Amino acid sequence: MSDRRVAILGGGLYRPGRVRYDNAEEGVAMAYKNMLNDFPNLDPQDIQFVQSSYFSDHLNQQLCMAWIVQDYIGQHRKGGYRVEAGGSTPLDALLNAYFLIKSGQYDLVLVVGWEWMSEVDTATANEFIASASDTDWDFTVGGFYNGYYAALETRHMQLYGETIEDLGRIAVKNRNNAVHNPYSQWRAEHGTAYVTLDDYYKDRIIAWPYRRWDCALISEGACCLLMGSEKVAMKYSNNPMWIAGVGMGTDSMRPGDRLVDWAYHGVYKAEEKLYPKNIEKPVTPYPEMANFGFAREAVKQAYAQAGIRNPLKEIDLAELFAPYDGVELCLYEDLMFCHRGEGKTLIREGVVERGGELPCQLSGGLTAFTHPVGATSLLQTLFLYWQLAGLIRKKLGDATLQVRNAKKAITTGHGGTGCQGGVIIYSRD
Amino acid sequence: MAEEVRIIEDKATPIKKEWEEYARKGNWTVKGYEMVRALSGPGRIEDGEEEDFMVIYRPHGVLYRHSYGLVSKFFKGLIDKTLYGTKCPVCNTVYCPPRVHCWNPKCRVAETEWIELPLRGKVHTFSVMLFSADAFLEMLPFVLAYVQINGADTALPIQVVTAPTDIFVGQKVRIKFRENRKGDLMDIYAVPVKGQTTPEDSCLHRNNRDIEHLNRDLENTYAFLNKRFGIKKAEVERRWKAK
Repeated sequence: MSDRRVAILGGGLYRPGRVRYDNAEEGVAMAYKNMLNDFPNLDPQDIQFVQSSYFSDHLNQQLCMAWIVQDYIGQHRKGGYRVEAGGSTPLDALLNAYFLIKSGQYDLVLVVGWEWMSEVDTATANEFIASASDTDWDFTVGGFYNGYYAALETRHMQLYGETIEDLGRIAVKNRNNAVHNPYSQWRAEHGTAYVTLDDYYKDRIIAWPYRRWDCALISEGACCLLMGSEKVAMKYSNNPMWIAGVGMGTDSMRPGDRLVDWAYHGVYKAEEKLYPKNIEKPVTPYPEMANFGFAREAVKQAYAQAGIRNPLKEIDLAELFAPYDGVELCLYEDLMFCHRGEGKTLIREGVVERGGELPCQLSGGLTAFTHPVGATSLLQTLFLYWQLAGLIRKKLGDATLQVRNAKKAITTGHGGTGCQGGVIIYSRD
Repeated sequence: MAEEVRIIEDKATPIKKEWEEYARKGNWTVKGYEMVRALSGPGRIEDGEEEDFMVIYRPHGVLYRHSYGLVSKFFKGLIDKTLYGTKCPVCNTVYCPPRVHCWNPKCRVAETEWIELPLRGKVHTFSVMLFSADAFLEMLPFVLAYVQINGADTALPIQVVTAPTDIFVGQKVRIKFRENRKGDLMDIYAVPVKGQTTPEDSCLHRNNRDIEHLNRDLENTYAFLNKRFGIKKAEVERRWKAK
């Protein structure tokens, strides 16, 4: 791999909402315009490649929407293509842009991401999203992702003893962060009052152990990021955010197959050993249906590249791809913030809260900020960019969420039930 | 030599005809519209300005012709009331859902062998569903479980027909076939083996408050079923008893 450094130079967003009536290409154009305002020295013709990111063709009765978007913002002529991998789509777009620059092929790449999810009703949106599961096997029994993920969390709960209250703590934490984010859907729909565990308990269960508050939002929104090599970074940006390490991983399509996950068998022995003694072990004890093997696989590569040995101490904040609150808890473990089974301790002891040692989802995350799939990791990355550049007060009009002197951040992405995903470590220096 | 394809059993002609009728109603054509006044713009809500938008209604329904490929035997087995899995002759892994090729890297894509599996299994994990896709709404509330069939190394997604507050990880179940089978996993369901007691450490039952909340929201689901489909709570409870 070349030793060329690659940075996020900045970006812009189009405020996500449950339903927006500007079109996808118009939303992207507004996010792009918002981004250009921060780059007075950027001639749009300097951009060499456009990396597009959106998830579903079904949601809008439109294939190849990237072509519409790229020409709408006058960026046609340059190379460009879309990547797609369910929820992993926007992280993969960032990784792909990184590889294009890292390889020396390009110096300046525009990443555009969006999703317009409310052209069909909620049940149909869930159906379309669930067609990313194995439709011959997992979809036919009436699950869709709420159900699959709920079943994964039930397993983790049974093995490692976290409670509904722990999930509630995560839900409350993320909402009480989102009220300070004026772009969050939570704030748009519920205002700026803090919530409590009692409020959480009143919320309706939709797929036990998950309540509505535990689940990702349905969103329409867009985000643009400008990425460049070190050759051009300082020309356009005073505050580049460097990519210090990346990694990718996959797991089986069907979660039920992970009981005999030969590809993982014996690879993560320490985690296999942390399996409760009183429960009968499946052939492959890690990740089983309880943890996310793809994330461990990805983060191992990313930490090695970034030289991170103690993530809890060395990383200042995290924006995780956690479409369900149990996923957030499991990722604490799989990203090695703690040992397997100790995720519950990090939330109970406030480690991941605002002001804690490693705050997670300060933006509000997928359950309280937003989740327009193709834009999600871009929005989380933009939020981290503002954090590392010290721009939270300027961008949000409120400095509450600003982590002081933040130097290193982590973001993750994943699709399916953890079928595919990746990790990016960002660094201010 | 020309490649020959023969239909050896036809259970599809009526739906093909029905779907042609549906398609003639007009996919892709506009069926109606609304004018909507809503916020436009990228910024915060307080910065947005209202615009008028034309919103159209345009349908799209499709009938797919999909081959189950070399695992067709499994699905035809469901119709014939037999549960099949596959077994790798090299590493002896038993797959249900079946794989025709072993995924153990050591076995180098070995071809597996079909075996008949017992109609017994164990709940590996579950969710109690109080919301679902349109096609399943009338079945609410239901338990979606991943069940490890006895002798199999993997878990099969399946509905467990039981009172939602009775389910637990490790529960032993029997597999049953539905009356009207069509060739997917909904042709089977599971029922708990009688006489089991809920273990003390069951994650659903550890805290009375959690069960109270589940019962509260089950009531909400019954109210929804009654309002939307005229289904009464007593009918739902009968489903769980009539095994």
